[in-house]
Amino acid sequence: MIDFLVSWIANTPGFAAPYALAALGLIVSERAGVLSLGAEGFMLVGAVIGVGMILSFGMPPLPAMVAAMVAAALVSTLFAALVVWLKINQVIAGLVMVFFCQGATSLIGSQYGWTNRPFTGLPKIELGPLANVPVLGPILAAQDVVIYATPAIFLGVVYVLFRTHTGLRLRAVGESPEAADAAGIDVSGVRFLSVMAGASLIGLAGAYISVGSAKIWVEDMTSGRGWIAVALVIFARWSPWRALAGAILFGAIEALVPKLAAAGVRLPQYLMLMTPYLATLGVMIWIAAARRGAAPDEPGALGVPHVREERR
Amino acid sequence: MTDQAMSDQAMSDRAVDRGMTAAAGERGRFRLGRLNVEVRREAGAAWRAFLTAASVALGLGLSAAILVAAGVPAANLVDELLVQTLFDGQNLHAVLFQAAPLMLLGLAAAMAFRVRFWNLGLEGQMIFGGIGATAVSLAGVGPESLRLPMMGLAAIVFGMAWTSVPLLLKLKVGVNEIISTLLLNYVAMNLLFHLLYGAWKDPRDGFPHSPAFAPFETLPTIAFDLSAALVVALAAVAFCVYLLARSRAAIYMRFVEASPSAARALGVPVAGVTIFAVLLSGALASLAGFVIVSGQEGRLTQSFFHGYGVSGVLIAFLARSNPLAAAIVATLMATLYVAGQNLQVFYAIPGAMVQLIQALVVICVAASDFLVRHRVRWVR
Repeated sequence: MIDFLVSWIANTPGFAAPYALAALGLIVSERAGVLSLGAEGFMLVGAVIGVGMILSFGMPPLPAMVAAMVAAALVSTLFAALVVWLKINQVIAGLVMVFFCQGATSLIGSQYGWTNRPFTGLPKIELGPLANVPVLGPILAAQDVVIYATPAIFLGVVYVLFRTHTGLRLRAVGESPEAADAAGIDVSGVRFLSVMAGASLIGLAGAYISVGSAKIWVEDMTSGRGWIAVALVIFARWSPWRALAGAILFGAIEALVPKLAAAGVRLPQYLMLMTPYLATLGVMIWIAAARRGAAPDEPGALGVPHVREERR
Repeated sequence: MTDQAMSDQAMSDRAVDRGMTAAAGERGRFRLGRLNVEVRREAGAAWRAFLTAASVALGLGLSAAILVAAGVPAANLVDELLVQTLFDGQNLHAVLFQAAPLMLLGLAAAMAFRVRFWNLGLEGQMIFGGIGATAVSLAGVGPESLRLPMMGLAAIVFGMAWTSVPLLLKLKVGVNEIISTLLLNYVAMNLLFHLLYGAWKDPRDGFPHSPAFAPFETLPTIAFDLSAALVVALAAVAFCVYLLARSRAAIYMRFVEASPSAARALGVPVAGVTIFAVLLSGALASLAGFVIVSGQEGRLTQSFFHGYGVSGVLIAFLARSNPLAAAIVATLMATLYVAGQNLQVFYAIPGAMVQLIQALVVICVAASDFLVRHRVRWVR
């Protein structure tokens, strides 16, 4: 029993990290007022570019993941141009971006022959003797570098968002673009950069799925995790730390199914694959019921384009 | 948040030109001039039509560039994509065949959009339509002569039942339907796999698809070699056009679309109208699933729904939720699908290319909206 628990909990961070990083990226852009529904697409871009850099350019995993972040940020400029400059409806723009990225990534993947080719990927790093500590060792000291870095990434983003002038500007733009504009903040510029910064984190989440966990590229391999991350942000009420907690919860749920199967429990495979989506839905229902009538937590101008000429 | 975004969009359509200017490049020392952006009330119909045509052309041009880069000889492009698709009898049939489910999906998305319900669960509703129809076929319900209508009916009932989940969650609990409908797609998909890899697996070949339908369970071809699917789709278009032009529900829907709170204050039964429109949307989407399963595939397959959901949403967006326009856009989209299938056969271009082209065209059209709503001038 204890062995089962340890191996389950030790597997949880690997499933939680993509949710955590994607949700963090979404929080960055949503705090600036842009609903980044394209997350699923940016994750796919990160996933395919990470794999491509390794397979075609022989990059080590870490630089490949950095390249994936850059690629996702570059693709997000298209989304940002649509919603920030051209004020297109953000839901439609997000959906189109997902569709665009699904098409583009499977096209690129098959054109360059990256599809279904396994590779070594990101290794687990055992932190010396710490890894041999019973129970805690495998959970805390035998993970890969992205998981070790995730808390630091969260600290850094939280610091910037809530303790610096840049973060204040970003949140001002998301709460009240009119006031921010009157205060001399370049609303469009801040939003544009926030979308890019958020997308780079979402791209890292995607690259982690392909380079870190699966160690292979398959078409549409993110299978809705981007949407789950969007729900996670609502669940976390736009707070990074609550998002991290939620990601760990979701990661634990997702890690449980293969562990149960490995332990010899006979389960209907496809019904089990529903669990992350049903769990997300359950959490959405719970939060909606619990927060009904309460003051909204979302950034005041989330999803609302800012057109200076329509200032009221 | 999305309601706000949509109302903002509506506001900006009607916004009065206040003659204020946004400066671009004001900070530069050597100013060449600046872009003067003005919000305008409404662009002329001719300008709108020109912009839409130009942006569709731009989207297709970009797609052509990608195709050439992917190895399709440039000289063959026009011939392959347009001439072969539209002027070859066999391909023209394929286009009309493909148009039927796309029309139904475009209508489905449009109906839900008209009451501000983001129904992004079209694929899940298609799956339930397919499951309902197949259940009737497998159970052998009713006499042979009535089997096909009963399959269609079961598809609608199953699809509406599935649609009622996110609908009730939104109305009763306030769960955002964008996320819930998207998540439910994955649930429906895994349920489909559960059936196809389990109880409904074809015992004859052991592949994960249902046993083939009997001839009386597949949609027949009628006059001019056209599938009955097209008749179903055109009937749905006619129904929606009539509904929106003549019924009280349509007037209520217009109230709800403009402002749910104002509609409620005026005594419009907002919840009832929303339930009606969204269930209609679900019924249309499940009918699309039925048409594909029974008319094209001849059995329940693993991926009959794939990619159709977003196409439906994009058709409704391009058609501005107008049913007649949706039928036309769906037919054009079907041309693209068939051209894509030909590209796949002759040049081994992956099917994802069709998705990419759709996205590019919609991005260009959506972007051109800015020029409809704003007047941009260069001033010195």
